[in-house]
Amino acid sequence: MLTMAEAVREAMSIAFDERPEVFLLGEDVGIYGGAFGVSGDMYHRYGAERVLDTPIAELGIVGAAVGAALSGMRPIVEIQFSDFTAQAMDQIANQAAKIHFMLGGALHVPMVLRTPQGSGTGAAAQHSQNLEPWFASVPGLKVVVPSNPADAKGLLLAAIDDPNPVIFLEHKLLYKIPGRDPVPEGATRIPLGVSKVVREGKDLTIVATGIMVNKSYEVAEKLAVEGISITLIDPRTISPLDMQPVFESVEKTGRLLVVQEGPAHAGFINEVIAQMAGSSSFGSLIAPIKRLAGMNIPIPYAPQLEKAAVPQIEDIEAAAREIVKNWR
Amino acid sequence: MSFKYPVVMPKMSMTMETGELINFHVKVGDQVKSGDVLFEVMTDKIDMEVEAPADGVIDSLVAAPGAVVEIGKPVLIMLTETEVMSFDFGDDDQPVAALEVAAPTSIVEVPIAVAAPIIVNTNVKAVPKARVEAANRGIDLRTVHPTGPDRTITMQDVNGAQLDPAIIKRQEANKALIAKGIEMTRSIAQASFNRRVKANFDHASLIAAWAKVLRGRPDLAAHEHIGVALIIESKYGSALPVFRDPDQATLNDLRTLVASTTDAAKNGKVPVAMLSGATTTVFDLTTYSMSSATPLLFPNQVTSVTIGYESETTKNISLTIDLNFCDFYDGALLLDALVASL
Repeated sequence: MLTMAEAVREAMSIAFDERPEVFLLGEDVGIYGGAFGVSGDMYHRYGAERVLDTPIAELGIVGAAVGAALSGMRPIVEIQFSDFTAQAMDQIANQAAKIHFMLGGALHVPMVLRTPQGSGTGAAAQHSQNLEPWFASVPGLKVVVPSNPADAKGLLLAAIDDPNPVIFLEHKLLYKIPGRDPVPEGATRIPLGVSKVVREGKDLTIVATGIMVNKSYEVAEKLAVEGISITLIDPRTISPLDMQPVFESVEKTGRLLVVQEGPAHAGFINEVIAQMAGSSSFGSLIAPIKRLAGMNIPIPYAPQLEKAAVPQIEDIEAAAREIVKNWR
Repeated sequence: MSFKYPVVMPKMSMTMETGELINFHVKVGDQVKSGDVLFEVMTDKIDMEVEAPADGVIDSLVAAPGAVVEIGKPVLIMLTETEVMSFDFGDDDQPVAALEVAAPTSIVEVPIAVAAPIIVNTNVKAVPKARVEAANRGIDLRTVHPTGPDRTITMQDVNGAQLDPAIIKRQEANKALIAKGIEMTRSIAQASFNRRVKANFDHASLIAAWAKVLRGRPDLAAHEHIGVALIIESKYGSALPVFRDPDQATLNDLRTLVASTTDAAKNGKVPVAMLSGATTTVFDLTTYSMSSATPLLFPNQVTSVTIGYESETTKNISLTIDLNFCDFYDGALLLDALVASL
């Protein structure tokens, strides 16, 4: 069983083999093998021409990638921590996302920016953020948040194929975890913009992103034993967002719990709530929509506080129980 | 004896809160006959002529033309010789509480509306699907008791309401009744149902059984309690002691209470606390060897039960219902339920 880091590496390797214009650049992606070991031995397999160690200059790295993409290459950028994309935001939001549209569609920016995100590593406020809404709120970017190795591989292959800039947000805590399902061999793509129904149940619909999919899955399995049956939906791509399975599920369950790691205020998951509230499926709700999200604070350094700042399995379990119990 | 009877702003639609008095067709001192037009009312939906509920004399005009009057508030007061009930069980010196109709000041307050559970929930909170379901089934969510967090109506509440269109009509009528205050029951369409039953029961078990049936039908109560009035004849006239929520006492306790109350009533003594709060009435005709009678309903009551004598082992149970609240089918179901409960 591949871990997520291995699955991402496998996808990059397949893309490297398929297309000579694909290359990887970033800090320590070469000889060191990547800050979280994702690129691993790729430097040795593909050489310094295709696995480029860069200076510590995120704006320059992404700027180089945008330029390369405009001139026919398919760069994969790795930013060591998603927090550092703040340094590169002009290239991401003002250049990569806009160029195709501002030049009347004459050019494309087929770039993938991969970056690890999230808390749980004791790395404090500047290395632990979940910044999904930063990217999801910029038109022109596609944003992918894989929750398991199999999806990561298929989605990354599709992201590399995509003519648009794609932000690919990998959770650090998932890198070393094998998925529940084996990673398919070969180069099968998973289309961007298609939500996945992870499991089906009749009492509650949970929509979760990234690592929260895994936590929610554990809760769903546990509560199934007690007769609470949960549908779990992983959007996988948060921009564009495929809400159809959510609508269909809520029409059956009548209850919706949304879970994200990032802060509640103006978080991505609020988009799910907003679309539900404005849809014709709204009338199927038999309970108020419940949101679980991170606290509106910088991620604390102290391990206990860091844990308390984002939803944990116990929180999801309690929320799921409460909704199903209180709203019948 | 003449009664002061307030003619109030009627509730003519689900959404109506107030009505505008357009003009009077009568003046103080006018003799009117039942059915004469008293005044005209304009609402957001319709204009309507309000008729005299009985023969009488116009006592006073309370509202002024052009005034916006809340539903249930008096527009004029009339004096009527017509009894507000078809029975008068007390004599003038000992009025039974249920007969205290006339004082306009208390009527203006419409005190019974306060006790009515179905209008408590005026600012409705409900889950979206409950609203959809209520709209589909024609349920007024204001009549549904909320059990969800923050007094929110859940699906369970709406489903538990089990309202069919007939009941919805009844609830509408129920609210209209409350809005109007006390109604002249003679003008109410009513119907009686009879069934012969091989059964032996005393007053206590009958009262308990009937209360149990009504407990399942809060839409017929319009009160938060169930009060069964039992008519007891005495040399002073008929007394109507009211047994509150008799289905919640043990049968033995109830038997003791019924026996002691009956004895006291026969001596002309009924505890004051038991003189009011009736929501239904039980008549026992067996002591007169009568097999049936068709009593009219008391004000604010939509049901009454009469027990007639057929033989030692067979009784004749009659149920009278207000047709604004029950249809014939429903009445038959109620009678079935009572027989089963016995």
